[in-house]
Amino acid sequence: MAQVPVQTIHRDPQLFYWILFPITIVMILTGVLRHYASVLMQSAPKKLDQKSIREQRSLLHGINVRSNFHTLSKKSFATRRDALVTAFESGAYLKDPERAGGGQPNPLSDPSSMEGMMGMMKNQMAMIIPNTLIMSWINAFFSGYVIMKLPFPLTIKFKSMLQAGVMTKDMDPRWMSSISWYFLCIFGLQSVFNFLLGSDNAASQMAQQMGGMGGAPAQMFGPGVDPDKQFKAEAENLAVIEHYSVLDNVEDRLLEGISV
Amino acid sequence: MAPSLLYNPAKLPPSAALQLAQQAPIVLQQSLSGTETVDQWATYENLLLSCLRTGDDEAAAKCMDRLEERFGADNERVMALRGLLSEAQAENNGELEAVLKQYDAILEGNNTNIPITKRRIALLRSMGRVSDAASALVQFLDFSPTDAEAWSELSDLYFSQGLYSQAIYALEEVLLLSPNAWNIHARLGELQYMAATTSGNGGGSQQKYLAEALKRFARSIELCDDYLRGYYGLKLVTTRLLKEQAKQAKTDEGEFTLPEPRTIQRLDELATAKLSEIVRHSSLKDRGWRGYDEREVAAARELLSQNGIER
Repeated sequence: MAQVPVQTIHRDPQLFYWILFPITIVMILTGVLRHYASVLMQSAPKKLDQKSIREQRSLLHGINVRSNFHTLSKKSFATRRDALVTAFESGAYLKDPERAGGGQPNPLSDPSSMEGMMGMMKNQMAMIIPNTLIMSWINAFFSGYVIMKLPFPLTIKFKSMLQAGVMTKDMDPRWMSSISWYFLCIFGLQSVFNFLLGSDNAASQMAQQMGGMGGAPAQMFGPGVDPDKQFKAEAENLAVIEHYSVLDNVEDRLLEGISV
Repeated sequence: MAPSLLYNPAKLPPSAALQLAQQAPIVLQQSLSGTETVDQWATYENLLLSCLRTGDDEAAAKCMDRLEERFGADNERVMALRGLLSEAQAENNGELEAVLKQYDAILEGNNTNIPITKRRIALLRSMGRVSDAASALVQFLDFSPTDAEAWSELSDLYFSQGLYSQAIYALEEVLLLSPNAWNIHARLGELQYMAATTSGNGGGSQQKYLAEALKRFARSIELCDDYLRGYYGLKLVTTRLLKEQAKQAKTDEGEFTLPEPRTIQRLDELATAKLSEIVRHSSLKDRGWRGYDEREVAAARELLSQNGIER
């Protein structure tokens, strides 16, 4: 069988200096810029007032009683349970008790949650705007060039990824276009940023995307959650606990477990 | 182990605190330039506390200035440290009152400043206004009921007033926050034991306290099987129970009952054996037995000799 002849494309070596390097440098610089911009734009975490601290910590207290009830004797647990269940059900710990049972608060009407959303918007914007700009810049100036050949073979599936902007059917997928180099840079510069800016930088978009998804809000009551309902649910959880104590038979366990 | 500036020095013996405070010139000589390290600011804070303890107000003020320069005077923690410093420098009660007024003014503007709230409570207590301190603490715990430090302080306050059941309640809250703290279990046992000694002879309530004290000490040993205070308390309770030969009094539903006399006997033997082991090893300064507080070991030795046990 005849060997497939190795494709060779004669490229101007200047392509390398005038396309590959500029794109890389611009990507790194925007990453660094984005990091400092987001540091500047970061607003200090909003202070909670006493009422909302009380609301949150009381609920937390209820959760603590529920999960660590076994350290108490039955009697002292029962007193706490009765007190907490009554208080939770009557809404004694709510920030504004008159709104209890009023259904879901509109997240857009609450100024504090608006602020949180604005912060998220700012982050998203800081990511989207530079990316759009750079991509249109690359498209305007460098589209259609083949700039380099990867040093390892690839299957045909990579063609659409690596040769975006170059409409040549038979070209080996190892050849890469400038826009593909841009995409590679987006995902591949993470470690460069880690090196330049420290590990918790704001430049890497991967981190931002992860943060956007998995970053559970530090506030227990995000926008749109009704604290009254949470308290009621917690009261129910407390009410159904079947008490046992870790102190039951502790002396027998001790005598079995320890030898001097 | 040599004392380190990286840990909070509040619980160190005086000699160690002095040793730390004497490092002040070296630490303060280093200029602030260069990169921050993780431990740098913790070092300054702990040095500040040690210097205040040993009366080196000058070095403490220098530490304070550096902290303030870095974090700003409106940082809550820095504010509390600044307050602590002016408390230490106050020379008479009038100046302390002035500091207290300052705290009140700060809290007026921002009633969620937790470090300052705590300082205010501590100041009230040290000025002898214990009931004010207690009510302020109760108020604080109303909006922040998940603060273990505050609960244990409240327990200590009530205990100093002789209000055992309130002290026990507050300490139980600490246990709810950190269920595996063996020192808290043992402390709760101590409180129950003291409550039993004061609650009059015989009767169900005394036995209830003793039974729970026994169990608390046992739990604390179960969690940490070298804990001297746990064994000490266990020994105290079992000795007393064996001496009284208490009959099983009628108890309410849901309270702890005393174990069988045979079990108490065995617990007593266990505590005696372990205590004498600890005393023997730590007086010989054996390897691996050095961490015990000397006064606690001495107390254990005394307890053993009271009971006529030869080492």
